[in-house]
Amino acid sequence: MKKLVIAILSAAVLVALPAFAQKKTLVVGSGTADAGKLDPHIASTTPDKGVLSWMFNGLVRIRPGKISPEFIEPDLAESWTSNPAGTEWTFKIRPGVQCHHGYGEFTADDAAFSIQRAANKATSSYSNDYSAIDKVEAQGKSTLKITLKNPVAGFLGYVANVNGGNMVCKKAAVEMGENFAKKPIGTGPFMFAEYQPQQFVKLVANKQYFRGAPALDEITFRYIPADSSRDLAFQSGELDMIYGKQDQTWVDRTSKLPGVKVVAMEPGELSELYLNITVKPLDDIRVRQAIAYAIDRKAIVQFKGAGTSREAVSVIPSGYLGTDQKAPLYPYDLAKAKALLAEAGYPNGITIKTIHTTLTGMQTLIEAVQAQLKKAGINLDIELVEHATFHAQIRKDLSPLVHYQAARFPVADVYLTQFFDSNSIIGKPTAVTNFSHCNVADDEIRAARVSTDPAKQLALWKTAQEKIAKAVCGVPIYEQLQLWAWKDSLDLGYDVQGSLMLSPPVTEKAHFKK
Amino acid sequence: MTSFLLRRLGFACVTLFAVLTLVFVLVRIVPGDPAQLILGDQASREAIDALRHRLGLDMSISQQYTAFLGNALKGDWGVSMVSGQPVIGEVFKVLPWTIELTFVSLVIGVVLGVPAGVYAAIHRNRFIDYAVRISSLLGLSFPPFVAAIILLLIFAIALPWFPVISARSGSALAWYQSITLPAISLGLIAAAYVTRVTRSAMLEVLSEDYVRTARAKGVPWRVVIWRHALRNALIPIITVVGLYLGILIGNSVLTEIVFSRPGLGKLLIGALNQRDYPMLQGMMVIYTMVVVLVNLLTDLAYGFVDPRVKLK
Repeated sequence: MKKLVIAILSAAVLVALPAFAQKKTLVVGSGTADAGKLDPHIASTTPDKGVLSWMFNGLVRIRPGKISPEFIEPDLAESWTSNPAGTEWTFKIRPGVQCHHGYGEFTADDAAFSIQRAANKATSSYSNDYSAIDKVEAQGKSTLKITLKNPVAGFLGYVANVNGGNMVCKKAAVEMGENFAKKPIGTGPFMFAEYQPQQFVKLVANKQYFRGAPALDEITFRYIPADSSRDLAFQSGELDMIYGKQDQTWVDRTSKLPGVKVVAMEPGELSELYLNITVKPLDDIRVRQAIAYAIDRKAIVQFKGAGTSREAVSVIPSGYLGTDQKAPLYPYDLAKAKALLAEAGYPNGITIKTIHTTLTGMQTLIEAVQAQLKKAGINLDIELVEHATFHAQIRKDLSPLVHYQAARFPVADVYLTQFFDSNSIIGKPTAVTNFSHCNVADDEIRAARVSTDPAKQLALWKTAQEKIAKAVCGVPIYEQLQLWAWKDSLDLGYDVQGSLMLSPPVTEKAHFKK
Repeated sequence: MTSFLLRRLGFACVTLFAVLTLVFVLVRIVPGDPAQLILGDQASREAIDALRHRLGLDMSISQQYTAFLGNALKGDWGVSMVSGQPVIGEVFKVLPWTIELTFVSLVIGVVLGVPAGVYAAIHRNRFIDYAVRISSLLGLSFPPFVAAIILLLIFAIALPWFPVISARSGSALAWYQSITLPAISLGLIAAAYVTRVTRSAMLEVLSEDYVRTARAKGVPWRVVIWRHALRNALIPIITVVGLYLGILIGNSVLTEIVFSRPGLGKLLIGALNQRDYPMLQGMMVIYTMVVVLVNLLTDLAYGFVDPRVKLK
C-alpha cells in the first residue's frame, strides 16, 4: 500500500513538473488564414512582416520598441561613415556573424547582394526605395560601400531592419531562388524551422546569435483568422501574444482579462480621403474644400476610441521626420462647407461616388464619414467591394474618392512621394498610390529629396504639405494604432512603443518571468 | 455494372471539363490583380507588370487557357501564385483534415439522426415527436458559427476540457481533443437533416400493408421497426446523406475558421482573397471529383441496401 502511495505521488510529481519549469516557448496568434511570402524583400502583410522581423537584421537597426530613425544603432554594421554630400556611405560589417542553418559567415558580399536584391524589381516589392542607388560594392570581407546618384533623405532607414533593408544571406538566396520564401535564411535571433500550411510557422532560437543566445527556445507563430477564436485561445492560455481586433471595444474587453497587457503601438496608420482633382465635380476646388470643412476629426476620434486612435495633423502621418505637426488643415465648419458648395453651383447638394473595401475597420470609418458629409449636403455613394477588388479598381481610376489607410517609413519623403508626387499617379508606369492625381508640390518634394541641408529640407517638406492641404488633394482624418495584447508574464526586454515591422519586437532578450 | 461505371466515368470527365472552363474564365473576369496582391501597395506599376509577366498573366485568356489545358492533360495543375508550391500538393496537405472532419460529423449525424427520426416517427404527434421536430428545426436554422462559438465558450473556456485551437495531432488523445468540438458542431446540423428525412420516410413505410401484416402475424415490434420498416426507409436517407456530404465539405469553411483547423475551405477562401488562379482551378477539380465520387457511391449503395435496384 505504502509503495502504491509513493508510486502515485511520484507519478503526480513527474506529471506536475513541467508546470514549474520555465516556459521557453512563445505562442503568437496572428490575424490571417495562412502565411504569404516569407521573404523580407517581398512580404507586405502585417503577419508576414512580423514573423520575418524576428529572423532578420539590417545593417543598422532602429532600437527595438522604437520607430523613429533617431534611435538608429549598429546592427550587422558595427560602424559607418558618409561623405559630406551624403552620396557615399561606407559600412564596416561586424565580423563573425553566422547565417542560419550553417550558411556560413555574413560578410560585406552578402550585404551587397542583399541590397542589390532589394533594389531589383524582379525580386523585391520595395525596389522603388532603392532607385537612387548607383553602386554597391563589397571591399574585402568587412567593408561595404554604397554610392548614391543623389543624397537620400534618411538613407540609413533603407539599410535598417525594415522591409528591403533586411539582410539576407547570399548563398541561401542564390541556392534557393524563388524557394527562399519557403526557408528564409537570415542572421537574426530566431531561425526558421517548420511551416504547416494554415497552422503555424515555427522558429527556433539561433544559439549563435551575435548578441547572445535567445532566452526563448522557440516561437510558434499561429495563423488564426477569426478574431473571436484568437481572443478565446488567448483567454484559454493557448496563445501568449495576439494581434488584436483593431477597435476600442476589443481594447476595453481584453484589458479586463487577468494577467494581460494591451498595447497600442506605433506607427499609426493614417486614414485619408484622396480626391481625384481631375474629374468632375472634384476638379472644382470649392467642392473639395467643402468636403474638407465637413469632416469633424474630433468626433471621428471619439467614435474610434481615444486609446487607439488620434486626430490626423497633416496630409502625411504624424511624427515622421519632416511632418508638419501643425499643418494648415481645414477646420470643421459646416456653414462654410454648405456655402462653398452653393458657390460651386450645387445649392441642393451633390453626390460623390467611392469604391470601398469591406475591411471592417475601414468600412465603419467611411460610414461615419458618410454621415458627416450628409450634414453638409454631400451624399457619399459608397460601393462596397471585397478587398482585392478594391485594390484593383482604385488603381484604374474608377473611384473619384479613395479612402486609404497606410503607414510608411517615418520620413516625410516616402509618404509624400508615394501619395502626392505626380510620378506616382495611378496609370503611369511609375505609379504607386497617387490616387488624387496631385501635382501641386512636385518641386518641393523632389528638391527636398536631394537636399543636403537638413533645415532647408524640413522647410521644403513643410511647404509641400501646406500646398497639398490647401489644394485638398487629400483630406486626412485620423490615425489608427496597432493593437496587440500579451501575457503580463512575458517580458520582451524593451519598452514597446512601436515597431516599423508592425509586430512587437521579440529578440534574444524576450523571456517569461517565472 | 461495368458499363454503368464506365458511363459514369465519362459523365464525370465532361462535368470536370465544364466546371474547369467555367472556373478558369470566372476567376479571371472578377476584378483583382494577383500580382498587386502579392507585392503589396508600395510596389510600383513596373514591378507589378514584371510579376504579371512572370506569372503569365499578360497573355490573353485564350492563350492562358490553352497553356493551362495542355499542362493539365500532362498532369501538371500549376503552382500556387502565392506559395509557389504545386497546387495539387497544397490541396493534399490539408485534404485529410477536411475528410476526417466531414467523416466524423457525418457519423455523428447518422448515429444521432437515424434513431431520433425513427423514435419520432413511432411516437408521431406525441410529446417526444414534437421535441425531436423542434430541436431538429433548431439545428437546421441555427447559424453554425454561433453554435461553434457557444461550444467553445462552454467546453474550452468555462470548462477547459478541449482546446480552442482544434488542430492538434500526434497522439490519440490530441486527435480526440481536436476533432470533438468541430465534429459536434457540424454533426448536429447533419443530425437535424437526417432526423427529418428518417422521420418522414419511416412514417410512410409504417403505413404500408406489409408492416401491418408483420404486426398482425405477431412479429415483435422491435423487429418490425428495425428490420422491416427502417430497411425500406433507407433509400431516401442514403440520398440525403450523400447529398449532405457534398454540402458538409462546403460548410466546413466556417467550422475550420472558428476552430482554427486547416482544411479545404480555408484554402479556398485564401485563394479567392489572393486571386490565386491556379489554386482555385486545382481546388475546383478536387471538389468536383469528390462530389462525383460521392454521387457514385450513393448510387452503388442503393443497390446494396435494396437488391431490387439494378444499376444499368
